Amino acid sequence: MMVTESLVSVVDDDESVRESLPDLLREFGFAVQAFASAEEFLASNFVSQTKCLILDIAMPGMSGPDLQTELLRRRQEIPIVFITAHVDQNIRPSMLERGAVECLFKPFSDTSLLDAVNAALRVN
Amino acid sequence: MDELSHVVDALPGLVWTARSDGTVDFLNQRWCAYTGLSLEQGQGEGWQAAIHPEDLPEMLERLRLGFASVEPVEIEARLRRSDGTYRWFLISISPMRDAEGHIIRWLGVATDIEHRKRAEEALRLHELNFRLIVDSIPAPVAVTTPEGEVEGVNQPTLDYFGRTFDELKNWKSSDAVHPDDLPQTIATLRKALELGRPYNVESRHRRADGVYRWFNVLGLPLRDSDGRILRWFHLQVDIDDRKRAEDLLASEKRLLEMVAGGSSQPRVLEELCRHVESTAAGCYCSVVLVDPTGTHLENGAAPSLPASFLASIIGRPVNAESGPCAMASYLNEQVIAADLATETRWAEYAWCPMALAHGLRACWSTPITSASGKVLGAFALYYDTPRAPTPLHQSLIERFTHIARIAIESAQKDAALKRSETFLAEVQRLSSTGSFWWNAVTGERTWSEEMYRIFEFDPAVPVTIEMMETRIHPEDLAAFRERGQRVRNVDSSFEFEYRLLMPDGSVKYIWATCHPRRYDGTLMELFGTVHDVTRRRLAEETLDKVRSQLAHVSRVTSLGALTGSIAHEVNQPLSGIVTNASTCLRMLAAEPPNVDGARETARRTIRDANRASDVITRLRALFAKKSAMSESLDLNEATREVVALSSDELQRNRVIVREELADDLPLVTGDRIQLQQVILNLLRNASDAMSGVDDRPRELMIKTEREEGDRVRLTVQDAGMGIDAHATDKLFEAFYTTKSDGMGIGLSVSRSIIESHSGRLWAVANDGPGATFAFSIPLVPAPRTPRSAPVRTAVRANPERSIGQP
Repeated sequence: MMVTESLVSVVDDDESVRESLPDLLREFGFAVQAFASAEEFLASNFVSQTKCLILDIAMPGMSGPDLQTELLRRRQEIPIVFITAHVDQNIRPSMLERGAVECLFKPFSDTSLLDAVNAALRVN
Repeated sequence: MDELSHVVDALPGLVWTARSDGTVDFLNQRWCAYTGLSLEQGQGEGWQAAIHPEDLPEMLERLRLGFASVEPVEIEARLRRSDGTYRWFLISISPMRDAEGHIIRWLGVATDIEHRKRAEEALRLHELNFRLIVDSIPAPVAVTTPEGEVEGVNQPTLDYFGRTFDELKNWKSSDAVHPDDLPQTIATLRKALELGRPYNVESRHRRADGVYRWFNVLGLPLRDSDGRILRWFHLQVDIDDRKRAEDLLASEKRLLEMVAGGSSQPRVLEELCRHVESTAAGCYCSVVLVDPTGTHLENGAAPSLPASFLASIIGRPVNAESGPCAMASYLNEQVIAADLATETRWAEYAWCPMALAHGLRACWSTPITSASGKVLGAFALYYDTPRAPTPLHQSLIERFTHIARIAIESAQKDAALKRSETFLAEVQRLSSTGSFWWNAVTGERTWSEEMYRIFEFDPAVPVTIEMMETRIHPEDLAAFRERGQRVRNVDSSFEFEYRLLMPDGSVKYIWATCHPRRYDGTLMELFGTVHDVTRRRLAEETLDKVRSQLAHVSRVTSLGALTGSIAHEVNQPLSGIVTNASTCLRMLAAEPPNVDGARETARRTIRDANRASDVITRLRALFAKKSAMSESLDLNEATREVVALSSDELQRNRVIVREELADDLPLVTGDRIQLQQVILNLLRNASDAMSGVDDRPRELMIKTEREEGDRVRLTVQDAGMGIDAHATDKLFEAFYTTKSDGMGIGLSVSRSIIESHSGRLWAVANDGPGATFAFSIPLVPAPRTPRSAPVRTAVRANPERSIGQP
């Protein structure tokens, strides 16, 4: 399956996010794929096509940072925007240090999301 | 003649006349009346019939001589009275002469001397008897003149002294009486002679063999019928045995008094040796002791033995070879060495040559054995001549060994007691624990040394309750006095804490344990300990501070964690809501508007908002109490449990708890633990409310009572800082607190518990200082309202991700 628009993949165990976020991204004009877990994303065919990965930090099983590590191991350099419901200001710098494009705290605004995704795509 | 006859007849005596040749020619009427002879019968030689035949020959001879020499004659002779009895008469016959000097007549006069004669005879017999008696007395008797000159002594006197009569006459300048007793004997005798009163003196008299023995000399005057002293008799009674027994008894008494009076052991033993030496003449006495290890001899006392002699005994091993005392101690038997010159024992230690070199020839050593049979030492007598003990010696040894045993055992007990006292004092000092004893009847107080030290009182001054109160911290004085009052009614031991305020301003924390002892319900005595727990208390207070800081930190941390969890759970749906709302807006703003998409996102927004609401509901359910247990319970008992559990904390806060629990309180149905949590909360609040109170007793009253309408009420009244009358309702709101470190949860939780029991919890300000909190619950709670039932709606299916475990 070929996509013309830049593919943005969303990985989050929270159903609300998986339902709401793709719709918003599509309104922005991106192609979107949503996955309930890191394992599901890795097992899909969209890893290499993904231009921006919106990734929840805390998930059961493989966590967001775990997936980031795994992708680096596979030399899949996908720009990542982390999202998290934990309000801990210390998380953001450490995620940026790890190479993330952005780290957003839930709930985030549509503009901050768009800025983050655009920044990720620019990396490409 | 006739004229003369008339004169003679008239004379009162027995009178007669004779011619110059001696022929009786006239006898007066009294003569005739006495003899019963007529004048005719008596004339011539007829008168001779009236003369006692024994006296007649001498009389006739005397008369013959008298007539021949013409000299007056005086004869004593017995005349027969008319009744045949004879009486003594003094018969005087003298010549009558005429103017020229020729004998014309002889005149005879007989005077009755019967009385005198009898007296003379009696005296003679008396003296004879007396001498016989004196000689036959088996005790020494001396006879002296009224002036004290020795006239005679009886045979026992001569035998005892072994001296001649002439030697004894000079007793005052000899050693017959002991020189020490002589002055007093002479003085007593002189005084008795002067006053003519019997006397009694004790003195030592030297026996023929040179030994002095004690005598009691009894002096008695002998008087004639006129009361004049004729002689003195001096009876000497040998009282030596009695005197010795008395001395011995006095010695024993004195020694035992010394022991009882707490004289030191060396002094008592030395005195004992001196007593023995004065009692048994010529001996040297020593006491040696077995050392505490039981292996060597120690010095006891030996006042008359040379140090060099003792030095060779003291320190010797206790065995049969090293000497008589060591042997006696070792064998626990008496050891008699009657002649050290021929003695063969103890050769290994050359003991005999050593003793002989000190001039000793005999040694008798007797073990001193305790009541339990342990050998304490040995009692020894030494002599400078060879000799073996007599039964008298043995009885002496037995008695003094016994006293030595008492003295040594007493000293050992004293030492043990002193050791034990020292140990106790050390322990008390080390543990900062003093002990006291109070006699409730006499008010007498005994304090241990450490007790004085803790209170910083002079041990020389007897302690009074007033003195004690000057040390009690003013804030604790009321509680202390209240305790003091209660002592009289408390049966069992009890403990309590109070503080002392020392003169230098420092504060001591005291933990007191008291044990009352009663007789027949009346308090007899109180004893116990006082433990200075200042250091521990200060440590505890520091620890408490650290703990409360820690508790605060942990509360903040857990609150942070809780907040984090809540935020996470709520942020998830919020995130959905925001995203959906944004999408919705964008869909509606598109040309043409994507109404279906917007509707869908709006629907999802609502759904997510409901999810957020569910999270909150679930949180409430999590913090809600478990479902209440319903049981029948005794509120009094539940209250007592809580008071008991908190007593430590309450006492530490110096709160005086007064319980007024109704006797007739019915059982209630409810959750015991929950109700106890409420009571505990009320007690703590009351206690905390009084923490700043120092100007009045921190009194807390907890009361239960039955209310009308089948309800019970529990009231907790404090004397604390009180509450604002307008704020009584706010008190029960969550997070409302008047305490600097309070969470403000307790009262709101308490109220919800009481409400779940269909009861009411309220607070009122007291008329005086402090506040009163109370709850009232029905005996059986009303059926639960749905509002109070816990809501348990699971937010999500995944149980692993519940709140608190992110």
